[in-house]
Amino acid sequence: MANVKDPESLPQGLASDLVEALLVFMAQADSSEDEFSRLALRLFAHQFQHNLAFQRFCQQRGRTPRTVKGWRDIPAVIINAFKDLTLSCVPPPDCERVFMTSGTTRGSVRGRHYHPSLAVYDASMTRNFSQRFMQGTGKIRMGILFPDEVAMPNSSLAHYLALAVREFGTPGSDYFLGPQGLDSARLGEVLAQVQATGEPFALLGATYSFVHLMDEWQQRGQSFRLPPGSRVLDTGGFKGQSRELPMEEFYAQLSAMLGIDRSQCINMYGMTELSTQFYDAGNATLPSVKSGPHWIRSRVVDPLSGNEVAFGERGILAHCDLGNFNSVTTILTEDVGVAVAGGFLLLGRAEGTQARGCSLAVEDFLRAAKA
Amino acid sequence: MSTIKAVAGYLPGLKVEELLWQTLSFANRGDTLEVAVPALSPAQLVALAERVRLASRATLKSMAVSQIIAVVDRAIERLLDPTDPYRQEAEKLLPIITGYDPEMVRLGLTGYLKTFRAPQLQRFVAEDFANPKMLDEFQPAPKGGMARAFGPELMVHIWAGNVPGLPLWSLISGLLVKAGNVGKVSSAEPLMASLFARLLAEVEPQLADSLAVVWWKGGDEAREQALFGQADLVAAYGGNDSLAQIRRQVPITTRFLPYGHKLSFGMVGRAALDARRAVSTARSAAYDVGRYDQQGCYSPQVFYVERGGKVSPQEFAQYLAHELAAFEHKFPRRVLPLEDAAGVAGWRQTQELKTFSHAGSTLLGEAGAAWSVAYADAAQPLAPCALNRSIQVLAVERLEDVVAQIAGQRAFLQTVGLAAAPKALLQLAEALGQAGATRICAIGAMTAPEAGWHHDGRFNLLDLVRLVEIEQAAETAAEDFAPYKD
Repeated sequence: MANVKDPESLPQGLASDLVEALLVFMAQADSSEDEFSRLALRLFAHQFQHNLAFQRFCQQRGRTPRTVKGWRDIPAVIINAFKDLTLSCVPPPDCERVFMTSGTTRGSVRGRHYHPSLAVYDASMTRNFSQRFMQGTGKIRMGILFPDEVAMPNSSLAHYLALAVREFGTPGSDYFLGPQGLDSARLGEVLAQVQATGEPFALLGATYSFVHLMDEWQQRGQSFRLPPGSRVLDTGGFKGQSRELPMEEFYAQLSAMLGIDRSQCINMYGMTELSTQFYDAGNATLPSVKSGPHWIRSRVVDPLSGNEVAFGERGILAHCDLGNFNSVTTILTEDVGVAVAGGFLLLGRAEGTQARGCSLAVEDFLRAAKA
Repeated sequence: MSTIKAVAGYLPGLKVEELLWQTLSFANRGDTLEVAVPALSPAQLVALAERVRLASRATLKSMAVSQIIAVVDRAIERLLDPTDPYRQEAEKLLPIITGYDPEMVRLGLTGYLKTFRAPQLQRFVAEDFANPKMLDEFQPAPKGGMARAFGPELMVHIWAGNVPGLPLWSLISGLLVKAGNVGKVSSAEPLMASLFARLLAEVEPQLADSLAVVWWKGGDEAREQALFGQADLVAAYGGNDSLAQIRRQVPITTRFLPYGHKLSFGMVGRAALDARRAVSTARSAAYDVGRYDQQGCYSPQVFYVERGGKVSPQEFAQYLAHELAAFEHKFPRRVLPLEDAAGVAGWRQTQELKTFSHAGSTLLGEAGAAWSVAYADAAQPLAPCALNRSIQVLAVERLEDVVAQIAGQRAFLQTVGLAAAPKALLQLAEALGQAGATRICAIGAMTAPEAGWHHDGRFNLLDLVRLVEIEQAAETAAEDFAPYKD
């Protein structure tokens, strides 16, 4: 388990009883809709009281602790608000850690997600990761295709991966992406070694790093047959950092190159603005069904009205994450999704109006502004 | 709920059964439309290009420009006739394809097509050629010698967008300079150019093989390379990313004319802000915003409004909101695709969040309304809104101050809708032109450029031709070899 701080030592402005209740809630095996709503409403009331910007936002929509009756009524805040507003109940200087977005979409403005303590984030991550990625395995040797936490102290993904190594990695685990870039040669040696010894191996990192890796190995004609129990975790998509290829091709290549069945290639869907992640059960068939633990619930909405669309229709994903105890529980993403039995399908990003008319659209404008 | 079927493309010499067809589906207001689009192989594209080039050499190039104008005029006349089957098909299908209100499409088509009648086309040619006969035969040049303008053997058009009828613009330009034309329609609106090509062939069968309309999914490099390899000139419309991708497929010896996405805006001076004029200006501004849901390059994304008039900038924003609501009543916004809806929702929330930190900022229009006006009490740099009837109104002390706010967008500027007195109009035009704008027009006319306008400040026809000169010395030297020489 993660290192959970004594709630008594948490900074001022933070309801320690709330954090405690949250940790107890997360430790439950499951929760009913009612139980989930009750805790969501407690968090909503807390955030409404301690975050004035959020309070005004809610009031403008006529949503107050008096009128909000269930988790579905909590107004969803767009993720861009993490750039424009300070969405924190605890004053930022008193927060243990701030995670920032990579700033790829709006010039240099980066979204900030303040965590007074990482206790909740860490508990959420480890409990969920243990079930969805480790699947009963206690520890596994890990290779990380992402910079470490020292290099990227404000990256939630760097922290996530560091936590994975710390809690679930064997001593032989290591990083293969440093200031010099991707060390595919050294990784190749390690993989050859585990292939010989039969030690299961887990390779985790950003989706685009896997593309770089596959490109380099393809050039050298290198491939592996990793031992049974080996697995892969990719996250985040290509983000313009690598060539883009259809996901079908990505997993086919990845599986062929590592000798890992596609059912053991797991994709994690997470965001800086959340404290909880979603996983699929492998990518043998696409698109795979994503789902999260019982302390996060999702809705598929019509972005203009905020109303849920009919089951099976495309909409924008809104997530209510109880792990977001200090910021806002409910966010409106820019991701298109559709609800299915057991979770949702992620259908990509809502790319806006470009390519329809000849009027300059925001996305093009921002790209030009960056160039 | 009914499903209508239509066929896009115009492919002289190719048989339907030789082709692979794909289906593009559109649904709006309870109607479903399936448009079959032809997916030619690279080899078929090359063969088609060859056919068009040879045919245009044999027919189009031997016609006088005035004859070509007469043919286009006859086709446009048919499209303006409400009883004509081509017109009826356009009126019926374009609203389903684009989602625009049927009445808006009908009025828009008429207004647009009127600019392609014979007198307007003659003006169009005269704008670029002091002596239009240069397109027919060698003409004496003022400097001495003679000159003649040759259009491309083959011009390829890559069309984009869902503003009905825009492809006609470049297609007619190509015809006027006697080019063989192959145009690629976009998946967003594959029909109008196809209809026009068929109609033209019906009106003048001689021209039937001089043009073709094809389709492929954007970014298909094999097809692009195949067709571009045959072209003398490629004109492409689209966002800068698509244009960059297309440019990479164009051989260096082929001319490339890119038309990128543009950013347009309006300016309202205090002279237009007394109680009576402010209302009509706001109505005109709402028309510019509402027409085609701001999808056109000439559609305004911001209005800068001058302080000091009887009506304040903030009041003007309210007038505009009122007029947008009225416009919505007459011409409802199309049902937004999910991506556009998400864009508008995000933009609205961002504007709303700004109102928390900036006193004097407001967002007008309910969350469910089909329009939004974001007002800010201070000038801000020009930036796009979320389109789809979202508009920013920004207060400025003096209209001159706007010039500093648009400086960063030089590469994207196009139309400025301007409401100001004559002296201010000229002074501002000078500064706006220097800043990069290419078209200054009345508010209310932003979405209807006049006949013969210079798109993005370029010469529509002159840019397409190659000038061939017979130098004076050649004429003189020829005299030496004349049979009648003593």
